[in-house]
This record gives sequence, structure tokens and C-alpha cells, in this order.
Amino acid sequence: MSSPSLISRLRPLPPVLPEIPGVWRAHELAPVKARSTGHGALDALLPGGGWPIGALTELVPLIEGIGEVALLQMALKRLCDEKRHIVFVHPPYIPYAPALLSAGLPLPRVLWIDAAHDEDAHWAAEQTLREGAAGAVLLWSRAVADRPLRRLQLAAEAGESLAFIYRPAVTLDRPSPAALRIVLRPATAALDVEVLKARGGRGGAVSLPVHAHV
Amino acid sequence: MLWLCIVSPVQEKKHALKALASWAGQFSSCVCLDAERSLLWLEIGSSLRYFGGLDRLLEKVTAGLNALALAATTGVAPTAEAAALLARQPQALPVVQLEHLQPAIAALPLNTLALLPAAIAGLQASGIASVGALLALPRDALARRWGLHMTGYLQRLLGERADPRKPYRAPQTYHRRFDFAEPVQTVEGLLFPLRRILYELQGYLRGRDTALQMLNVAFRHRGHADTALTLRTTEPQRDALRLFALLREKLERTQLPGAVTRIRLNVEQFVALRDTQLHLWDESERHDASWSDLLDKLRARLGDQAVRRLGLRDDHRPEKAWCVESAAVAADLPPAFPDRPLWLLPPRPIERLPKLLGRPERIEAGWWSGEDSSRDYYIAQTAEGSRWWLYREAATARWFLQGIWA
Repeated sequence: MSSPSLISRLRPLPPVLPEIPGVWRAHELAPVKARSTGHGALDALLPGGGWPIGALTELVPLIEGIGEVALLQMALKRLCDEKRHIVFVHPPYIPYAPALLSAGLPLPRVLWIDAAHDEDAHWAAEQTLREGAAGAVLLWSRAVADRPLRRLQLAAEAGESLAFIYRPAVTLDRPSPAALRIVLRPATAALDVEVLKARGGRGGAVSLPVHAHV
Repeated sequence: MLWLCIVSPVQEKKHALKALASWAGQFSSCVCLDAERSLLWLEIGSSLRYFGGLDRLLEKVTAGLNALALAATTGVAPTAEAAALLARQPQALPVVQLEHLQPAIAALPLNTLALLPAAIAGLQASGIASVGALLALPRDALARRWGLHMTGYLQRLLGERADPRKPYRAPQTYHRRFDFAEPVQTVEGLLFPLRRILYELQGYLRGRDTALQMLNVAFRHRGHADTALTLRTTEPQRDALRLFALLREKLERTQLPGAVTRIRLNVEQFVALRDTQLHLWDESERHDASWSDLLDKLRARLGDQAVRRLGLRDDHRPEKAWCVESAAVAADLPPAFPDRPLWLLPPRPIERLPKLLGRPERIEAGWWSGEDSSRDYYIAQTAEGSRWWLYREAATARWFLQGIWA
């Protein structure tokens, strides 16, 4: 997953670049608004020190059942403590109420949106993000194309929520418009988290003791 | 007393005028109507202070009529008949004081008065062309020649005689129907009248200081059963545009079997508007308000059943220990509840058993209802690294996958 443009980025900037609107240089990067993931080692990898607020985070678990949602548990619990809502859009299975409660997510704070198809799911996530009323939106997307992601990224920018999209591993060889792109791999009693792309950050990998819970 | 008269377009039916009277209840506690003359009166003398003066009130009424897209005109005067007279004069200014009334109407032509055409023709034939000229004539002579009807009218016009009117009482439940002259084929054609009747409803709700959480709309077709839509909102609601947006979303996803000849709108139950709408919200309340708007929007497009809250049930069987809640309930797990996976699956038989971790948890329940189940639950790890929640059914020794630790 190495980026072929890494070398060219290290070259000195041509003088015209600062005059092009929309181009930021590293030292002028705006501070990224973020919420701690609850994992210090992961926070250290992420611009702003946590899950970005108002930007899309793409999570690509190589298989399911490895702690791909448990990774978010601490951030989600804190949002619930602040009386914000957590929205599960189009999850692959039934979100099990006892598990949510043990994870510190009170049931009245959790909304489960079951869309008939991917298009409705993306629409629901987009509306929820735009409205900014939810603390976090978790969308399970079957879409391979990146166009719906672009819309979600814009919707995330309009609101103040944490925005997570789970995508199948087949999407990994395509570019992504998400601000943060993370691939998740199973490890022994741990979850390997590799930051493939972080707008305003460097990326890197870390192994977290995330398992069993949630 | 100060009267505001609204002249409704003549083609409007009587039930439409009543709907307009219900709408007008938001501006005055005393609304009267005259269906034959297509007139509506609002006593506004007692509402002026509440609305911040006559100019502000008139602005609001005009804006309201514009929102209804109704080509109605208005007039203001200390008597109901004078208000009706001024309402038909496009350039007339409001008259507030009784002593200013006579000079304000003196120059108007005679045929603006609500007199019988024969009387007007007769007066004109004897050289009386203006209201002022008529009012200058001795009343007893007029009464002898044209009857008490005419002098009675003039006295009520000038406020020399009481003019009691029966106030219109808005109904306790709201029913509005809208008939199309020609059947309407497209959704766009329905939206325009739908918006109008929702604005009327908003006025009615404001007048009664109440709100709704459910409304029914039915579209009548020729030769087909009605198409009925029910809109439910999370919070009490009375904003016309918000209701319109939600209905529109529903309507655009509804297959109409044919052209529409009539719209019916019914509201049977009313609820008090939350007083949070009257105050400035703090941050958490603001989130709650936009939260309920969001839920309404999601339900309008995806359906009520697609937007779910979760609840617990008191049952040891994992597949029965949860439920979908329509309303939010607080619930707590028993203390020291064992770990559960985030994803629950309908039990699925498995052939190859993955590596089991730890000791089994015995769950026995359901024997009382004949669904005897005794199961040993295990956490398992697949070769690929997934964590599964499995059980072995004691009776058959078969293995099932029921959960995934995500």
C-alpha cells in the first residue's frame, strides 16, 4: 500500500504553488479538529490527535469479527456520556443490545437505521451527517465506487460528527476521497491498525489490544 | 373595536372560506365570516398589542395570505361594514379612529356600498354619485323611500348602531378537503395545493396554540381506492414548511394508481408544543431539536420500521434478550452480565469447528414455553482471526454460530 508519489512530495515546492488556491503547505496546515480514540498510540498517529471531526474516516477491515467496531468503543462511549447519539447505518447484522450496554452505550442513545439498499443507506448517513445532530455515524457500505464517498466527505464537512464508513477490502486498490483511511488486520490478541492516508498527517501502523469487548 | 376584513376570491368554495377562517384564528380570537359575500372579518383591536402594532399585524396577515397564494385583499376600519368597503378598494389606507371614517369613504363611488343593485341604480338616477352624497341626505327620508334595510346598513357602516356578529368557532378536529376542477396527473400538481392546506393548518394550530404528531392525507382517484398517507413526527410539530417537506418526501416515494381528484387532510389529535421552541436552546437541546427533525426526515423516506431503537427483554435466550423499541426506554443489564458480541446472527449451523477459547457458558431457558433450549456457549477464534460466538445444543450436540465480535 505504499504511495508512489512519496518521493515527488519531498522535492522543493515550485514557487507558483503557494498562489494556487486550495494548496496548503505542511507548515500552514490548519489544526485538525479531532476527538481522542482512547488509544494513545493511535492518537499519536492521527492528525489532531484522534478521530477527525467533520471529516470522513474510512475503515477497511480485512475480515469481520476482529474488533473493527470495538476500536471505536471509547470514543463512542464518551460521546454518549456527553448525551450525543450514535447512529448505526446499514450494519451487516443485528447490533446486539446487551453488547451495546456493556460497552457503555445506553440504548436510547443508539439509533439503528436499516436501509433497503446501499443507496438509501448512503442517503441516510449523508442526512445524519449534514444535520450534525448525531455524535457519530457508522455506515456499512457495500459500494465499491468512490463517488458516494465524495458526497459523504462533503456531508461530514458540513456537520460536526465523527463519520466512519466501513468498506469491503476489495476497495483497497482504489483511491479514496476520505480524509483518513485505515486498514484493520487481525493479530494475536490484538488489532493491527495501519493508517494508509491521513490528511494533514503522516500515517503509520500500530497494534492495539482491542478484542472481545463489543 | 377594530376590524380587518379579508375579501376572498369569489371562486373559493364555502369550505375553503371556513379553512381560511380557521387559519385566521392565529391573528384574532374573534373571526366572523359571510360565505355569500366571500368575506371574513377579524376583530384585531385586542390583538394589536400582542402583534406589536397595526403595521406589524398587517404585514403578518399579508405575508400569511401570500404564503397561501391567495389573491385576497384586506381593509381595516372601526366597523365591520366599513372594513369590508375598504377591503374592496385597492388603494385604501387603514382607518383606525371612528371620526376619520366618514372623510375616508366620502369620495368612494356609490356602487361600492353593499346595497341592492336596484337601490344603487335608483339613487344614481336621482343624482347621488358618491358615498358622501348619500350620507349627507336625511336618514328618515332615506328610510321612507328605501326602507329600514338601507338606513340600518348605513348606521352599521358608520358605527352608529351595534353590529353583533356570530364568531366562527374553529372545529375541535381538523378536516380539510381540496377538490380539483380537473384531475391532477403529476405529483408536482399536488404539491401546490398541499402546501396551501398545510399553511392553513399551521394557522389553525397557532390559533389554538397547539401542535400535532400525526396527520393523515388521502388522495382520491377515479376508479381506484384512495391513496392514504400517514405522517408521524417525533416531536410535536406545527411548522407548515417542515410538514410539507416530510409529506413531499413520502409522496414522491408513493405510487399513485391514477390521477387525483381530491385531497383530504385530517388531524384528529393535538398535543402541546414543547416550550423549548419558545426559548433559546442551549447546545444539548439544540442537538435534540435537530435530532427529532432528522428522525422525521429519515422515517419519511425509509419508513417508520427502518429507523429503530433497541431495547432489552428479560429472557435468557440470547435471540430473545433484545427487541426493537418504538420509543426510547432506559434499560440496564443485570450486574456481572457476561460479555456479548456486538453482532447477533440468526443461529447458523457450522460444519468445521474453529478453535474454542475459555470455558463454556451454560444458558438454559424456554423450557416453560415448550421451546426447551439448553446450550453451551463458547467464544471461538477462526483460522482467519475472527471471533465468533458459538453454541452447542445439548439435545442434538450440533454447533451453531450466533454472534460475531466486531
